[in-house]
Amino acid sequence: MQEIKSYLAPRSLDEAVKAMAAGDVTVFCGGTDLTPQTDSGAKRYGATLMNIRRIEGLSGIAEAGDSIRIGAATTVTEVRRDPLIARAAPILAEAAEHFASDQIRNAASLGGNICNASPAGDMINPLLVLDAAVELASWADGALRTRSVPLENFFTGPRRHVKRPDELLTAIVFRKPATDFVGWFRKSGPRPALEISTVSVGIGGNLSDGVFRNVRVAMGSVAPTPLRAHGVEAALEGRPLDADSIRAAVAAADADATPIDDVRASAWYRKHLVKVFTEEVLNHVLGN
Amino acid sequence: MDQKVTAPTIEKKTLIGQRVKKPDAPDKAIGKTRYINDMVLPQMLIGKVLFAGRPHARIVSIDTAAAERLPGVHAVLTGKDAAGLRFGFVRDNAALKDKVRCEHDEIAAVAAESEEIARQAIGLIEVVYEDLPGVFTPEDGAREDAPQIHDNFPGNKSLYFEFSHGEVAAAEADSDFVVDNVFRPHHVTHCCMGTSCAIADFDHNGKLTIWTQTQYPYNYKMDLAPALGLQPGDIRVIQPPVGGAFGSKLDVYPYEPIAALLAKRTGRPVKVIYSREEEFKASPTRQPAIIHMRTGCTRDGTLTFRTADVLLDNGAYTSWGPTIPVIMMRTVSGHYRVPVVDFKAQAIYTNNPYAGSFRGYGNVQTTWATAQQMDMLADMVDMEPLAFHLKNSQVSGEITPQKSFLRECVLVECLETAAGASDYSRKRKEYAAARAEPGRYKKGIGLASSIHNAGGAKIHKSDGIGTILKVDDYARVTVITGASEIGQGIDAVITLIVAEELGVPLEHVLIVNNDSDIAPWDVGVHASRTTFIAGNGTRRAARKAKAQILAAAEKMLGEPADTLELRGGSVVRDACGTPLIKLDRLLRQMHFQAEPELVMVTDYYEPKSEPEGAKHVSDHSAAYSHAVHVAEITVDTLTGEITVDKITMAQDVGRVINRMGLEAQIEGGLAIGLGYALSENMLLDRGLLKNPCFRDYKLLTAPEMPPLDLHFIESDCAEGPYGAKGISELPTIVIAPAIANALYNATGVRVFDPPMSPEKVARAIDAQRQAAGG
Repeated sequence: MQEIKSYLAPRSLDEAVKAMAAGDVTVFCGGTDLTPQTDSGAKRYGATLMNIRRIEGLSGIAEAGDSIRIGAATTVTEVRRDPLIARAAPILAEAAEHFASDQIRNAASLGGNICNASPAGDMINPLLVLDAAVELASWADGALRTRSVPLENFFTGPRRHVKRPDELLTAIVFRKPATDFVGWFRKSGPRPALEISTVSVGIGGNLSDGVFRNVRVAMGSVAPTPLRAHGVEAALEGRPLDADSIRAAVAAADADATPIDDVRASAWYRKHLVKVFTEEVLNHVLGN
Repeated sequence: MDQKVTAPTIEKKTLIGQRVKKPDAPDKAIGKTRYINDMVLPQMLIGKVLFAGRPHARIVSIDTAAAERLPGVHAVLTGKDAAGLRFGFVRDNAALKDKVRCEHDEIAAVAAESEEIARQAIGLIEVVYEDLPGVFTPEDGAREDAPQIHDNFPGNKSLYFEFSHGEVAAAEADSDFVVDNVFRPHHVTHCCMGTSCAIADFDHNGKLTIWTQTQYPYNYKMDLAPALGLQPGDIRVIQPPVGGAFGSKLDVYPYEPIAALLAKRTGRPVKVIYSREEEFKASPTRQPAIIHMRTGCTRDGTLTFRTADVLLDNGAYTSWGPTIPVIMMRTVSGHYRVPVVDFKAQAIYTNNPYAGSFRGYGNVQTTWATAQQMDMLADMVDMEPLAFHLKNSQVSGEITPQKSFLRECVLVECLETAAGASDYSRKRKEYAAARAEPGRYKKGIGLASSIHNAGGAKIHKSDGIGTILKVDDYARVTVITGASEIGQGIDAVITLIVAEELGVPLEHVLIVNNDSDIAPWDVGVHASRTTFIAGNGTRRAARKAKAQILAAAEKMLGEPADTLELRGGSVVRDACGTPLIKLDRLLRQMHFQAEPELVMVTDYYEPKSEPEGAKHVSDHSAAYSHAVHVAEITVDTLTGEITVDKITMAQDVGRVINRMGLEAQIEGGLAIGLGYALSENMLLDRGLLKNPCFRDYKLLTAPEMPPLDLHFIESDCAEGPYGAKGISELPTIVIAPAIANALYNATGVRVFDPPMSPEKVARAIDAQRQAAGG
């Protein structure tokens, strides 16, 4: 039987990462993934349970130069309601809108959704489209160290990522999209409310004079990690958005997605849906 | 005394058909209700169960020594502690098992000071299993070389039922059209908000008190006794408020005798309560079935025959699930006028979870088939579909081949109302014509109906109820009744009827119906029977009390009893409403006079229905009822998602008693039916449940409830209280095939195995496209 030996609720980042450097810490923020996972035995608590909600500066959404910085403890509800996000990155607000239920949105944090590293993580998909990076903080040699990792390189497998156990994810940062940026997010599940994505598709890029550039496409629940669909991106990059390029993008979506059969859907249906959503989103951009 | 005060007259007002709130609602809404799950008794221990976690195995050895040594553990029991104590319909079950026959088989149980210690002790029990080849479909279980699940049930054969009427071969020869399909209704479960829970305690005389969620407290004693080696009379059943039952508490399940065995061993009260995961794995399911159905009709649209060959996946043990043919055959023989019928149903043991009863009992599965075949035949004959349904509708006075006597039958009115209000015929034609046109989203409309017992079902020797009613010196009424409240709203109905009959405020009626040592006998909450049976019992008891009161008033006031009435807390002149004496004052005068009397009456009501009988030819319910549902949907033909845009429903309710309760029952019943139709599914992989959680078992939520257009048709049932019929199961029964028929109308595809999940619909549409060469 596993016992939590101590509970910490640090006020400062230094305090938090020092504790993490010292050893076996389970980070608690919203608890919406952690609680069911520890209850079911899928995950074990470390000796120290550390609540990071009180750490100063760990939540909130702010402009920093030409970037937007979202603190890791920011809740999905805060993302959903934030005027800056609504203006500058509506694809993120759209994903927050379809994220679980009100109760879960109120508790779940953006950082937690990323660290949970589920291929179905609904906030990860639009952040990949926005080419976000995550900030990781740790304590080494008597000082606070931080590093930045592009979100695309963050995930290494289902529930696995490059963050070391002594590192705390502190923020998500992405460049404010240009005015000609367009982005859409689409997910699906067997019921409209409170749903884990069967698949999700996010597509974004700069669209001017009918040509799509800097295209980034993300897919959820079709691979061991949240996926950047480079094949679809290549099919669209620098080309006029028309019936031909859409057809090519749909074919590439079929190739990029490597889903499995599980309790939520078969591989066939997931492949079918990514094609449907890729076509739907692109047709929507075209105004069809 | 003779002071002249002119009291205002009291108008005659009826409560029947009004909106009355459930007496238990305010406490439930604010969280004050103390459910059984919340109960703590002094000295109470927590019981926990070790489940097998494998579908079929021999138990080689069990080592409980480490668990027994753990401080705080008071008892560890295994199969040997329940040896010889077999229970269940065919005595195939035991509280603790000597062999594993399904994933949730209870192998050992622990009673400890706390949940944590009990859990830890469970982890210390070492069991060595030798896995055996399993049986996971009834087809496999019926094979000659199939592994045997119970030694004493050769061929894995469980219950068998049949009913036959007329010559099928001749009727088929006379048929111009025959539809022939195999339907496969699936495993779903009740998902009660309150998980399964029982608390057991023995007194020094060896008498057991069990606090439980049961919905049939009297027969429960009889069913629990053999699991414990007790006499039924030595069991007292107390029913605290429960968080839902829906049929799942109509049998004894192993956690209940386990709690009692642990209590007996420890001499202390023991509570067993399931986690949500345990609830998903170990509570009963709806009975799955494989229904091979054939229905024929002539060119002019007259039904000629219907056959059903049914195979039931019995699961590992026999509870109510495999008894559903009793109701299935009533639908096969009675859903529309079918002159020739042949019905067979065989249940086969498998290593899957086993089914209990569930709202809509057997009829959900059968109507899924019959109502789709009616829709198919409607397209084959050259008739308006509504006209086809109407042509085959029974009318009042008809008797079905099984001798269900349809005294008041308003199927025609239900069909005309639902079809008319939804513009069914026009839309069905229009949507079918639009099927081939381009477009991702397709609209569809589907109609389905069914018949169900609405005046109880005499499957036991009696379908009656006892009622004790007393009126105290302050005109407060206590009704002591066998009718259990499991959330369905019977307390509101009883309150309303007493207030109607005795002219007292609703708040002055108290109901005692949670203790088998106090309240008189009742069959239990099932078969849509409680408003009908307990409503009659309550009304009869109230009328006896009223007769006693008015007789006393006649003596005291010198006015004939038949000119008096009870209204607004007073005795009044019936004709003009002039109050003559306050009721409480009259009651005190009755009590304190020279020849004192108290108002205490008893009643036993037995409905006019016939026992089911071995041949299943009997008028087994005191009433029957119909409902018609029209579902309007939009199908996303690419993702396969079905959005239900509207449901129009017309149901024969006999008479509305509590309008608010009726609406709530219809809405709740529809929610269960919609989940069955669209999203709920227990995913079993070789007997193991893959989605024992609400994350992956998809109950519909509030946003998915479509707008409802409800029409209550009042047929005024002669035997029902104020004309009422039982209502609660039909809403669950009819909606799924209505959506299936709408799906066909929209897309031309049919799904025979519910739920009609997005993936299944998308696959069916994709297969249709492939077949069409595109």
